[in-house]
Amino acid sequence: MKKSFSYPILFMVIITAFFTLILAYLNYATADVIALNEETELRRTLLYVFDMDLPSGDPKEIERIFNQYIEETEEKGIYVAKEGDQVIGYAFPVGGSALWGTVQGYAAVSADYSRLLGIDFTHHSETPGLGGRISEDWFKEQFRGLDLTEAEGGEYIIFRPAPRGNVDSIAGATQTSNSVVNFLNEDIFEFISKRGGGE
Amino acid sequence: MAGDSPKKIFKMGLWDDNPVFKQIIGICSSLAVTNLMINSLIMGLGLIFVTALSSLTVSIIRQFTPKHIRMMVQVLIISVYVIIVDIFLKAYLPEMSKALGPYVGLIITNCIIMGRCEGYAQNNPPLPSFLDGIASGLGYTIVLLVIAFIRELFGFGTIFGYRVFGDWWTNWTIMVMPPAAFFILGVIVWWARSKESEEKKEGGAVN
Repeated sequence: MKKSFSYPILFMVIITAFFTLILAYLNYATADVIALNEETELRRTLLYVFDMDLPSGDPKEIERIFNQYIEETEEKGIYVAKEGDQVIGYAFPVGGSALWGTVQGYAAVSADYSRLLGIDFTHHSETPGLGGRISEDWFKEQFRGLDLTEAEGGEYIIFRPAPRGNVDSIAGATQTSNSVVNFLNEDIFEFISKRGGGE
Repeated sequence: MAGDSPKKIFKMGLWDDNPVFKQIIGICSSLAVTNLMINSLIMGLGLIFVTALSSLTVSIIRQFTPKHIRMMVQVLIISVYVIIVDIFLKAYLPEMSKALGPYVGLIITNCIIMGRCEGYAQNNPPLPSFLDGIASGLGYTIVLLVIAFIRELFGFGTIFGYRVFGDWWTNWTIMVMPPAAFFILGVIVWWARSKESEEKKEGGAVN
C-alpha cells in the first residue's frame, strides 16, 4: 500500500467529487418530478378540506380543478376558494405537537366563519393503526360542517360523550386525539379572531 | 482469493450468517418498519439495493483505497446509494416515501451495510461481494417480512392491505406497537438458535 501523505487526500477528494457529481445530476434530473409531486399533494389536501370532489388522481386534472376554484391569498399559506365571484371559504395551516412528533395539516372554514368545512393532515408521525388513524376518512369526515358560532371560549370541537360533544375520538389513541383537537381549536380560534374578530 | 461460490454466499447470508437472527444487527429498523408488510418490503428492497451496490463499489476500488481511510470511503459510498434510494422514492413512489418517512435516510446507519463492506467486500472480488450484499439484504428482508406478516395479520387483520379476517376480528393493539416486533423477533432468534444447536448435535462438532 502506498504510504505517501498526499495520496489519501487526493483519493478522497476525487472520489467525493465523483459521487457528488452523480448525486447532483440525479437531483437535478428529478427536481421537477418531486416538485410536482409535492404540489399535487398540497392541491389534493386543499381540495379535500374545501370538500370538492376529485374525479381522479391524475395530477393534471387536480391542477385544473385547483386553479379553477382555489388561489393563495396575499397572506402566505392561506388559501381562498371561490365559485365565480362568491367566496366559499378559507383554508389555513394548522399544526401542533402530538404523541410522537408534530402534526401538520390544513383546515378550512366557510366565508362567514360560521362553519368548519373540513380538515386534512399533510404530515404526522403517529403510530400506524392507532394515532395514525387521524388521517383516515372516517375521522376527518366528522369535522365537515361543524357549527363554529355556538362555541364558548374557543372550544369548537369537543369529544363525545362530553356535553355538547360533536366528534368521536380514536379509541386507544387518546393522547393523539386530544392533541389534535387542542391545536385545531387553538388554530381555528386564532384564525377567526384575526380575520373576523372585529365583526 | 478466487471468491466463494454463489451457493455458499447465499447460504451464509440467508441462514448461517443471517444479519438479523444470527449476527443481531439491523435490529432497529426491524422493529420500526414492520407494522405493515408493504413498508417492510420497500425497506428490504432499499436495503438490498444499497448493500449490494455499496459492496460492489467498495470491492472495485478496494485496491486503490488507502487502508486507513477506508471507512470514510465506505460511509461516503453507502450514503450516496441511500440518497439515490431516497430521491427515487420521492420522485416515483411519493406515497411510500411518506410512509417510510425518516427510515429511508436511516438506512445508512444500518449496521448490515457497513458490516458487509468491511467484513466481506474489502477483501473479496466485486462479483462475490455484490452477491454477498444481495444475500445479506435478502436475509434481512425475509426476517422483516415474517415479523410484518404476523404483526399486520393480528394488528390490522390484513396482508399487504388486503383484508384477511372479517369484521368479527378485533385488532390486537399490541401488535401495532413497537414492543410486538420485539417479542416476535425474540421468538425468531430463539427458534433460529435452537435450530442451530440441533444441527450441531446431529453433525458433530461444526464450528
